[in-house]
Amino acid sequence: MALPQTLVDEFDALVKNYPERRAALIMALHRCQETLGGWISPQTMEDLGTYFGLEPVEVFGVASFYPMFNLRPTGQHVVAVCHNISCDLRGAQDVIARVCELTGAPFGGTSKDGKWSVRGVECQGACANAPMFDLDGVYHEDLTADKVARILGAVR
Amino acid sequence: MVKITVNGRVIDADPTKPLIRACHDNGADVPMYCYHPGLTPVGSCRICQVEVKQGTAPGRVVVACRTNPVEGMVVDTESPKAHETRRECLEFLLKDHPLDCPICDKAGECDLQDFTFDEGQSAGRSNEPRRSLEKRKSLGEVIVLDEERCILCSRCVRFFEEVPKKAQLTVADLGWRSVISTFADRPLTGNYQGNIADLCPVGALTLKKFRFQARVWNLIKMASTCVECSRGCSIQVEVLRGSDVKRFRPRTNPKVNGWWMCDVGRFAFDHANAANRLEGARLREGTELLQVPVEDALCALRDALMPAKSAAFVLSPFCTVEEGRAMLALARRHNAEIAFVAPPPNGLKDDLLHTGDPCPNRRGLTELGIAGLTAAELAPKLVLAKVVVVAGERVAELLGMTVMQAVPPAASLFAFECHPFEARSLVALIGVPNHVERTGTIVNVEGVRGPLAAAKPAPRSVRALTRLLEDLERLSPRREAATR
Amino acid sequence: MKAFETYLLDRAKVEGNHQLATYKKSGGYKSLEKVLKTGITPAQVIDETKKSGLRGRGGAGFSTGMKWSFMPDVAKDPRPRYLAINADESEPGTCKDRVLMEKDPHGLVEGSLLSAYAIRAKAVYIYVRGEYRLSYDRVAAAVREARAAGLVGKNIAGSDFSCEIHMHKGAGAYICGEETGLMESLEGKRGHPRQKPPFPAQSGLWNSPTTVNNVETVFNAPFIMERGAAWFAGIGTPNSKGNFLVGISGHVNKPGVYELPFGVTAKEILEEKAGGMWQGRKLKAWFPGGSSCALLEGKDVDVVLDHDSLKARGSSLGTAAMVMMDDHTSIARVMEVIARFYEHESCGQCSQCREGTQWLSQIFRRIAHGRGQPDDVATLESLALGMAPGKTICALSDAAAIPTLSAVKLFKDELIDCIRQQRDPLASPAPKYASVGAH
Repeated sequence: MALPQTLVDEFDALVKNYPERRAALIMALHRCQETLGGWISPQTMEDLGTYFGLEPVEVFGVASFYPMFNLRPTGQHVVAVCHNISCDLRGAQDVIARVCELTGAPFGGTSKDGKWSVRGVECQGACANAPMFDLDGVYHEDLTADKVARILGAVR
Repeated sequence: MVKITVNGRVIDADPTKPLIRACHDNGADVPMYCYHPGLTPVGSCRICQVEVKQGTAPGRVVVACRTNPVEGMVVDTESPKAHETRRECLEFLLKDHPLDCPICDKAGECDLQDFTFDEGQSAGRSNEPRRSLEKRKSLGEVIVLDEERCILCSRCVRFFEEVPKKAQLTVADLGWRSVISTFADRPLTGNYQGNIADLCPVGALTLKKFRFQARVWNLIKMASTCVECSRGCSIQVEVLRGSDVKRFRPRTNPKVNGWWMCDVGRFAFDHANAANRLEGARLREGTELLQVPVEDALCALRDALMPAKSAAFVLSPFCTVEEGRAMLALARRHNAEIAFVAPPPNGLKDDLLHTGDPCPNRRGLTELGIAGLTAAELAPKLVLAKVVVVAGERVAELLGMTVMQAVPPAASLFAFECHPFEARSLVALIGVPNHVERTGTIVNVEGVRGPLAAAKPAPRSVRALTRLLEDLERLSPRREAATR
Repeated sequence: MKAFETYLLDRAKVEGNHQLATYKKSGGYKSLEKVLKTGITPAQVIDETKKSGLRGRGGAGFSTGMKWSFMPDVAKDPRPRYLAINADESEPGTCKDRVLMEKDPHGLVEGSLLSAYAIRAKAVYIYVRGEYRLSYDRVAAAVREARAAGLVGKNIAGSDFSCEIHMHKGAGAYICGEETGLMESLEGKRGHPRQKPPFPAQSGLWNSPTTVNNVETVFNAPFIMERGAAWFAGIGTPNSKGNFLVGISGHVNKPGVYELPFGVTAKEILEEKAGGMWQGRKLKAWFPGGSSCALLEGKDVDVVLDHDSLKARGSSLGTAAMVMMDDHTSIARVMEVIARFYEHESCGQCSQCREGTQWLSQIFRRIAHGRGQPDDVATLESLALGMAPGKTICALSDAAAIPTLSAVKLFKDELIDCIRQQRDPLASPAPKYASVGAH
């Protein structure tokens, strides 16, 4: 298997921004995760290795360093609840409990139906609007019990 | 060079090399885990902290592997501050280490164990559960990884990146969750995997072939030379209680192999340990080869060589310079043709160490004036000779049975070998020691001389080839007549 | 609090300011054009910035003009030169750069270009943390607009200054906010900080001279060049100049990001900007500049929020992220969270940091969950002293040690009480978020 041509075209443009090709690797990993099923599969790492002239193990080393990259498939929707200090002071633990209750996913895991993954993340820079979570890449801030239910309820 | 002071002694130091080199070269025993002279320093383990003073600034503690000597630098590797910083660092390193030294193959040669012992850190303060990880993760045919013992020095990762120049390992994940890993649990490949077991400062990476084979303090270690190719890597032969070779390990030699050796050489000790050795000598008696005193076999050879007959001597490429010289002298006395059997390149050549030439002493023997010929080139000469003498470890195997059998029944075949064999013209078999049982010199492809060491005793009644040739000389008629 | 002039967030409050047309209406790119068209040299920009007293807003507080002046002489060093903008904002409690990027992305573009001009960089990389998707999109769009308007790329605004701006994304690693970790990450590697020296100005991105500046730092540059160093230096206290952004979060009535001049006290910010402590409670403890600086007690709230005053109280300005905690707050719990954060974010290179952050976290977790042991407080202190200062490649180890040492010093009795009782008396299971209206 190889990377889809659309991604290859994108990466061809991207690598021009840097004096060395591999600098685009993290950007490329993001694009792969966004477009290839929400995670970085071993196949993707191999394909990226081929594209960047790196050994797959080097791509793996990089991908595994960054918490945003999922090296295993996740649920259909990912709720990343900030549980760092500013959010913790304003009830992050309650948000986590509520999210787990509503989604049926264990904290740090995926619901049995595969629909939801819930995880704790460190400071997301929404401290002035704590507590917050990131649902599939979109910030939801100033959460309350009702707001959590409303946001999750709106997800199809 | 710059002048620096290390523990009160003024020394010359290379300003382009890390300070730790200058310390080690001058007897200051600075510990190290991530640093290795053969790899790019990263300064991550932080154990090599020493105190340095420059000018009038107060002393500061720095890592010696990422600090370069500067003119006038005053280094104290044993200051209380340096010791305290290293002790702190050591405590962190031991925090998650399983301390399973009693069942660890590395015990006795473990840098972590040794340094802990030196610093006298006998009790740990951690009450926390230790990391529970994979204890025996196979990384292919050569290496097994114990993730719990790993202190994440990354030497193994850097080795593959920098020496064979093909990354195979990485530090995966981050923080204390980091582990050493291949990609997708793939096995390691290539001819240099074993080096990472030497590089590993703890017992995280061990050789499958050495696992639970011996406690290292029971090994007798001798400096020797690898005979698997014409590189002649400097090695250490390690023998358990005078019996079996348990390990070959590279011995640092900047002129030949640096710090490394290949796996073909590393695991070639099966040859050295092989059973079915030829003891003493055997002599043809009808259809049988009977065990006889060595002198009887030598007398038979003497008698065969006495009349001026056409004789051909074939040496093993494993013969040392000393053996070659002695055989050459004998050949000259008897006007015999002499050559060594040189098998063709074996396809193992690479860009790093392996030359692909299976003749370890090609250069040494060639420089004596002994030519290397293939078995095919030698065969016609052997058919014509009346007396054929083959000598040296594995010579019969390298010539091949077809060539040995081609020596006509009318001719006499004598063999100095490690292992017995049979051929129709064979008159006598005389046992010789193998390359871990004898001393001598071999000359590598670039002309560097390397020693062979007698790391273990030869089988009963086996004498070195050079000694046998002296004995043969002693049995010569001139001397016999004189003694009568 | 005395009345003061604002400038940092003025445009951010204008609807649609993230678009070039609106930005230009409020004087956008005037400063850049002034510099490029009136023959002000890079050296003069550096000089002016030095005189202004601008200090980095990313946490370390180093003089910006000074940092720029460390770049090698362009006549003697032909290597390409780079400016990296550190938009990897992830210090706990910090959310100020996000406001600038989302609401005033052109301000960042203009500031980046001026800074690049000062150090003669031909390329700028804006490293935005991966989670800041809106920030990234807004700045990327601003760069596109600016490029189309001839403000990015070749011969900017008709001058002979050419400079590219490239967008780059992080992927959730806090350590990439450390300047050398950021450079490694920008090069497509694991974000392992590099040993200094060599400093980035000597050998940074791709072994070339590099300057790494925080978003808010370069955001100040156009204002300084337009209004002059004297104007800027006229704001603030002796060693802390200009306005700065304070993010105030935690148990306050109106958490937010506020623009303030140096010289105001934390108390003024708390009471006049953040509406005081919530539910009429008392301030027990606070971080003045993110979780990597020392905790202060409630009574320290009278301190002037600037570099020197906070240093005098044993803490630091950091990112000016005030995290306020009321008198119902358990310090054991706070430190459990903080220690877990450093445990999670240590890159794992240095032994002290990799093992130490985990160890601190394990101990605080035990204390907070009623499983403390008699030696724990002493162990915490000695571990923290073994991790810092300056014992590791970067300062993350220090960042974990500093709050630990302050907590152990200021709240020793509380921690010991948790250990003695084998429970945290202040642990509160009651929901908190429902009890206060979000604003």
